[in-house]
Amino acid sequence: MAETAAPKTRQDSLQDVVARYPEVPRLIIVKTDAQRRGVFYTEAALGILDEKLHQVTGTHIFGARDGQHEARPESLLLRDGTSIITTPTPLEENPYTVDLIDGKLWLTDAGAPVEEVDYWPAPDFYALTSSSGIPMKNIASARPQRLNIFPYRYCTFWNNGNGCTFCDIVCQLKKGKEELQIPARLNPVEVGEVVGEALREPGRFSAVFLTSGSITSGREPFDDEVDYYIEILGEVGKHFKSNKYPSQMIGTAFNERQLQRLYDETGLMSYTADIEVLNEDLFNRHCPGKAEWIGYREWKRRLVAAVDIFGPGRVNTGIVAGIELAQPHGFRSEDEALERVLEEAEDLASQGVGTVFIVWSPRPDTPLGNQKNASLDYYIRLAKGLHELRVKYRLPIGYDDYRHCGNHPDSDLSRLLPY
Amino acid sequence: MTKLSAAILQLLDQPATTRLVATTDEFGKPYAVTSPFLHAGEGGHLVHLELLEKSATNRNLLRSLWFDKKVSVTLVAADGSSFVIPGRPVKALISGPVFRGYYQQVRARLGDADLATVWLIEPEETVNETYAVRKLEEEERFPFSVHLDRLLVPRVNR
Repeated sequence: MAETAAPKTRQDSLQDVVARYPEVPRLIIVKTDAQRRGVFYTEAALGILDEKLHQVTGTHIFGARDGQHEARPESLLLRDGTSIITTPTPLEENPYTVDLIDGKLWLTDAGAPVEEVDYWPAPDFYALTSSSGIPMKNIASARPQRLNIFPYRYCTFWNNGNGCTFCDIVCQLKKGKEELQIPARLNPVEVGEVVGEALREPGRFSAVFLTSGSITSGREPFDDEVDYYIEILGEVGKHFKSNKYPSQMIGTAFNERQLQRLYDETGLMSYTADIEVLNEDLFNRHCPGKAEWIGYREWKRRLVAAVDIFGPGRVNTGIVAGIELAQPHGFRSEDEALERVLEEAEDLASQGVGTVFIVWSPRPDTPLGNQKNASLDYYIRLAKGLHELRVKYRLPIGYDDYRHCGNHPDSDLSRLLPY
Repeated sequence: MTKLSAAILQLLDQPATTRLVATTDEFGKPYAVTSPFLHAGEGGHLVHLELLEKSATNRNLLRSLWFDKKVSVTLVAADGSSFVIPGRPVKALISGPVFRGYYQQVRARLGDADLATVWLIEPEETVNETYAVRKLEEEERFPFSVHLDRLLVPRVNR
């Protein structure tokens, strides 16, 4: 059953928040608000979308806020090189509008221009087809500087209905399979072929990124997931002359043996296991599969153990910021949520594990789909808080920054750090 | 944005021209570096290619873009004439065909090098800092600034 009661949130305008936090770049506040509210593309804006030049929606592992599957802009770039990673959102939800003004794309709000934006450029390999006849863009996808591989588009936590409450991966898999002919499980050799082709484009990619749904099976739970990642990364690694190459994987929280295998047997340089929400009770409610198979405390313990294997500043966790306020079980105020989340993030940071957040986009095909995310003020305070922890504990975030991900307002703030 | 003059455009076309970009950090500490690839872009911007992501200049340029602070570009010609161009970084390109073109240029010239950011700097004015020009201006506008020994009638040795 859907949870509906709204938490106490501030209702400030963009201008209010910009004025309140002069130490936070306006562009990052704009980005955060656009991710929070979503965007709507006008016909004029869609009219200049060109698949040969721009990235259109491709191999999404997660769905759009308006539930539609159409060729639309993948995302947007701001003039500081930061990405706005968001999805088309129905007008009744009050999104920003992307419109064409004097031949240029602008993010607008209530008809007023806010910031000039660009569509993400299309990589060369999007025009190609793999040797088995699959469009390469259905095997790998791109961000402005990152090559994405989503090798397995199912999550076995859903086998007994224990998928995360904010996640639409399985619903999206069905849509992708039927409407886009995206394979649910990629062939590692074919992934290697596509990666090899993608890397031929000069100056395009500075990291390889890998993520999929959890696979609980194996001799020990998740051994099959680890084996599959190793197989994929093995094919990817054949293209590099060095043993290690800039890369990130978001996986399940693996045990030490599995982590050591990933480090020793692949070129992987960083490791992320998303805890999703930094509170044990809320984790149990919103991530029942993760709670069933690993548990909150063990998830955190494994993150800390990963630091010994991948090194300090090479391990982090992600949270879907805003679900901690989802009612009726969430925190009752943003102040309380912020205090509790940052307290737990500091505990991890003090042990070498960074935390990044994404702005929760309630998606229609999820149990939380009819709730609202948090206020802009909350997200800016959270970004500042996580950035300040990174400074306090001197945790580099180069593997998950604006170039290598672009989805975390907190790591955008860390661009000014000398490490 | 001011339009770059023909003289400046010509200077930017000369390989022998020395190019400097000066920025400031969060405490106002100045930091000037050579910018060997600096040139005029198609939109009238100055284009600075920053090769290193975590360099002080890259971070200072970003800070200037974020918080609307000025930077300064200096051009010194082979004949000693020089110009200072204050401006504002307005765009950072990290992807796309323009970035790719510059990336290939950098590697063609330097070998195994990388490119972090293509910075577009909007020029605000051009100041001619060539000594001979500035000297004349100064003597005309500030006649009390000169040392008197320069004004003496030359002595004739007998």
